[in-house]
Amino acid sequence: MVADSRASSASPSPRRLNVPRPVLVEAGVDGVPLSVSRRAVALVREEWRVVDRWWTEEPVFRRYFETVLEDGSCLVVFYDQERRSWLEQRA
Amino acid sequence: MARAAGLTYVELHCHSAYSFLDGASQPEELAARAAELGYEAIALTDHDGLYGSLELAHAAKALGLRPITGAEVTLADGSHVTLLVESRRGYANLCRLLTRAHAGTRPKEGREPLPPALPLEALMELREGLVCLSGCARRGLAVRDPSAAAQLARAFGRERFYVELQRPYERGDARRNAALRDLAQALGVSTVATGNVHAHRPCRAFLQDALVAIRQRSPLEACEQERRGNHECVLMAPAQAKERFPDDPDAVARTAFLAEQLEYDLTCELGYRYPDFSTDSEPAEARLRRICERAFVERYPASDKALREKARSRLEEELRLICELGLAGFFCLHHEVLELAREVAEEVRGPGSPRRALPPGRGRGSSVGSIVCYLTGLSHVDPVAADLSLGRFLNREMASCPDIDLDFPRDIRERLIVRVIERYGRERAALVASFSTYHARGAIRDLGKALGLPGAEIEQLARLTEGDPRRVGEELASLPDGRRKLASRRWRALAWLCAEIADLPRHVSQHPGGMVVSSQPLVELVPVQPAAMAGRQICQWDKDSCADAGFLKIDLLGLGMLSAVEECMELIARTRGEAIDLSRIPLDDPAVYEEIQRADTVGAFQIESRAQMQSLLRTRPQSLDDLTVQVALVRPGPIQGGAVHPYIARRARRRRDPSYKPPIDHPLLAEPLRETLGVVVFQDQVLEVAMALAGFTVGEAEGLRRAMSRKRSREALEAYRERFLAGAQARGVDPATASRVYDALAAFSGFGFPKSHAAAFALLAYQSAWLRRYYPAEFLCALLNAQPMGFYPPASLVRDAERRAVRVLPPDVNRSAAACSVEEGAVRIGLAYVQGVGKEEAEALAAGQPYADIRDLAQRSAVAEDTLRTLVEAGACDCLGQPRRALLWQLGLVPRPQAVPGSGGRAHQLALPLQPVTETPELLEETPWERLLADYRTMGLSLGPHPLALLRFQLPAGAVASAELDRLQHDQRVAVAGLVVARQRPATAKGVVFVLLEDEHGLVNLVLPPPVYERYRALARGEPLLLAYGRLEKVGRGRSVVVDRLESLGPLAQKAAGLAASPRPLPQAHDFG
Repeated sequence: MVADSRASSASPSPRRLNVPRPVLVEAGVDGVPLSVSRRAVALVREEWRVVDRWWTEEPVFRRYFETVLEDGSCLVVFYDQERRSWLEQRA
Repeated sequence: MARAAGLTYVELHCHSAYSFLDGASQPEELAARAAELGYEAIALTDHDGLYGSLELAHAAKALGLRPITGAEVTLADGSHVTLLVESRRGYANLCRLLTRAHAGTRPKEGREPLPPALPLEALMELREGLVCLSGCARRGLAVRDPSAAAQLARAFGRERFYVELQRPYERGDARRNAALRDLAQALGVSTVATGNVHAHRPCRAFLQDALVAIRQRSPLEACEQERRGNHECVLMAPAQAKERFPDDPDAVARTAFLAEQLEYDLTCELGYRYPDFSTDSEPAEARLRRICERAFVERYPASDKALREKARSRLEEELRLICELGLAGFFCLHHEVLELAREVAEEVRGPGSPRRALPPGRGRGSSVGSIVCYLTGLSHVDPVAADLSLGRFLNREMASCPDIDLDFPRDIRERLIVRVIERYGRERAALVASFSTYHARGAIRDLGKALGLPGAEIEQLARLTEGDPRRVGEELASLPDGRRKLASRRWRALAWLCAEIADLPRHVSQHPGGMVVSSQPLVELVPVQPAAMAGRQICQWDKDSCADAGFLKIDLLGLGMLSAVEECMELIARTRGEAIDLSRIPLDDPAVYEEIQRADTVGAFQIESRAQMQSLLRTRPQSLDDLTVQVALVRPGPIQGGAVHPYIARRARRRRDPSYKPPIDHPLLAEPLRETLGVVVFQDQVLEVAMALAGFTVGEAEGLRRAMSRKRSREALEAYRERFLAGAQARGVDPATASRVYDALAAFSGFGFPKSHAAAFALLAYQSAWLRRYYPAEFLCALLNAQPMGFYPPASLVRDAERRAVRVLPPDVNRSAAACSVEEGAVRIGLAYVQGVGKEEAEALAAGQPYADIRDLAQRSAVAEDTLRTLVEAGACDCLGQPRRALLWQLGLVPRPQAVPGSGGRAHQLALPLQPVTETPELLEETPWERLLADYRTMGLSLGPHPLALLRFQLPAGAVASAELDRLQHDQRVAVAGLVVARQRPATAKGVVFVLLEDEHGLVNLVLPPPVYERYRALARGEPLLLAYGRLEKVGRGRSVVVDRLESLGPLAQKAAGLAASPRPLPQAHDFG
């Protein structure tokens, strides 16, 4: 017998995808990442900046970097000026 | 180009607020910031226009920067290219291109304009003297259509076409710029770096986001795509350019090389010439003399030898001066425009009109002081007989053309503007632009919507605001829930964004009547674009820029009172068969002056306002000369200059003691200030004082006056102070006196009338008062038809006339014309006065008269059913012999012709000839309150009882009517109630607010001291019915109530009317600054 899927009371609540996660970044004086999670940055492919939602209680002031690490992996990290912390997000 | 110091960057792509909602800084702010950052040149490239170019050019040059003229042009496919001017030919081409881009933006009158669009072929054809950059990162031609960019590159050649690289710090910059570099290489052209600037400082980048939202008419949240995503659109320091373009140092360095190539200087190479009017056989000077001599014989008959001699010497002096200044063509042009106006007036007035004898218009302003203007028909005041000075209008040291302002009745002006454009050609004549700038209300509404704030709360704040966007934060804080609001970022953002947006231009519109005419194509001097009204076109510069460019501006102004006076004469001729010649009425009629002295002047030109009334009671004018002073006295200049109270006091003293000599600051001022009792009332006296006390030449003095009247010349005013003080000292005037006099002149600033202007206005003020006195019904009718104009809403004009025994009749579908008319000595309200009835609909309704019943009316007229309902509610169908509610019931049952689906309203099905099968039930009559509110809702005025007459017996004990104030004592406590007619918070009154209340007997002036106003601001600004408690102040014959407590009569009216909410349709008061 098949269980009634609607009967389940443990249905998960909506989940945000690709949530930024804190990451350890060492940056130079110009703010450009030198290493991410203790892995050296081989190349910064691009930098972009986002200023948004400044009129709300959750303003966004971020500096993004698309990096290639020395092991060849690609990673987007950003510095969140509001939270004063580095976060990583899948590209 | 900043290379000597190791800097190698010039900004070549920069938007100011003249990109209209896509740029957050004034040109002056950009220039000042660029100078601060160490630039040596800067380009202004607003969207599809040169609106701010001259402003930037002058501001930049004053700061030692080299201005570069250009524009970002929208092509037909919506993509952008940046055009920069290299030479005079290039500037002319850019103007022609922008004119072309705008040519199709107004296909239909009354609709929103379409975006400008320039065909690529036109750009390739008119490319000479221009440098083309391939456009911005988002909508640049090279990004959107590389093959079209290649076409342009071939047309312009490698010396004049560059691929534009931008680095807005958006994701994808690297890939886009790599593609653009490849394109440049493939085309064999170079790249150049630009910043696509939209703000001069980072704080304005927030405003730029909000402007995008306003442009998109959406909240900030909903226009993420259109916003820039970050705040990198700010003018950067030249040194930062290298960091921003690390892979393109050559593209950065090239900006400076290119800037050197762009040599054109807009401030001195425009080459404008106004029409000369010289022919081979007759130079312009001879033509002007011929015109003057012809009129001289008529105007100055040999019988008055003394006047004639005086006039002859004045004419010779003026003609000599005009010849020296090379201004004969200027006067001939004005004369020709006036001749055109005469033709237009004949057409508009029609044959047999009593208006035929009137001149087509009349002069105002300083030109009224010129005998040449008098003889050429440009003014109607004899400057010799009236002893008017010429200095301000015309003098040997003039740096620009004199101003001639001409007033016309509106109907003549409408057609004259189009006729002037037709006469001189669409390439040579256009109206001057005017830029609507942000004030508090507009700022609160637009920014509030952008920030997603609740509409009702925004509207509440917008209604309460005083008008200064910089004070919105304080006003927000003073709201009952201000603290809660300011705890939220959105409301805080509203407060500071309002301060930032203050005075920025929002859109372009037309100047009230300024036109420029040029002998060479105007479209090569400034872009020209269609105006909102069909047949009109405007140039892209405002009056200041046109003056800076040396353009000859003719002011053809529409004056509501002239329209009203002319209509009044027609009505008198039609209804009484009397032909009035206003030039022959007695100018010393005691009955007219008696009314003026009593301040019984509602509706009279210039002397009807609350402040004028208060002043009239004390100055008590007795002649046209007194009226001339009176008209000029209640102006911001004399008020700020501290002239009003001394003048009034000295005049009272002189009345008591004719030998009284008013005190003066220095004996040198005795003559210039003789006729105004020792104070500065007229603008020309500023010149005369500067000449008498500080030894200024007439040209220097006129320069001082101009500096005072222009928004861009605060520094210049300070420079004049030093010269004034030095000049006065040289004449033995002590520094303290000189300084005091200069301060009074500076406070007077530009906000005063020249005596000649005041004289012209005083004459019209007297004529209107005379018509009001002897033909009150015709005068009221004409005023109602000339609305909007004047100080009072139509409701108050009607109440005032009723108090003076004029009968006013309601609109009537069987008797009213479209406009208001005079019917057996009474004023009949016209059908077009009913809300929602357009002029054409009203005319069609009147043409179909008479109507037998409501069914006949509904079936024979094409008026919408809603409008018919409004006509019933306004009482226009009372003549059909049924109560209003019964008419409404029957209206709902009348079968009406229906539009055939798909015909676009052109074809109609005939109505079935069915008779209603049900009887009209018994319906209750409306109450007086319901009628009153329906009147205000449908017409904005009421002919029934005044709301205060309905409320009077329910007012608290002790509340007195306006008619009772005369018998009460000065300083006695009183309570007065009324309908708010006007509110005024003059900048000159140090925060005091004046409210004019109207009750069933007349008007009461309320004075709200600043603390009282602050406490009751919401009531004072928002409530239509007020009860005011305070102290009666009686000064001379003036009476006011100095208020200490205010209450709303809304709840009482609500109860009396049996309504669920406060009565809303009561007319809104007029607000004055």
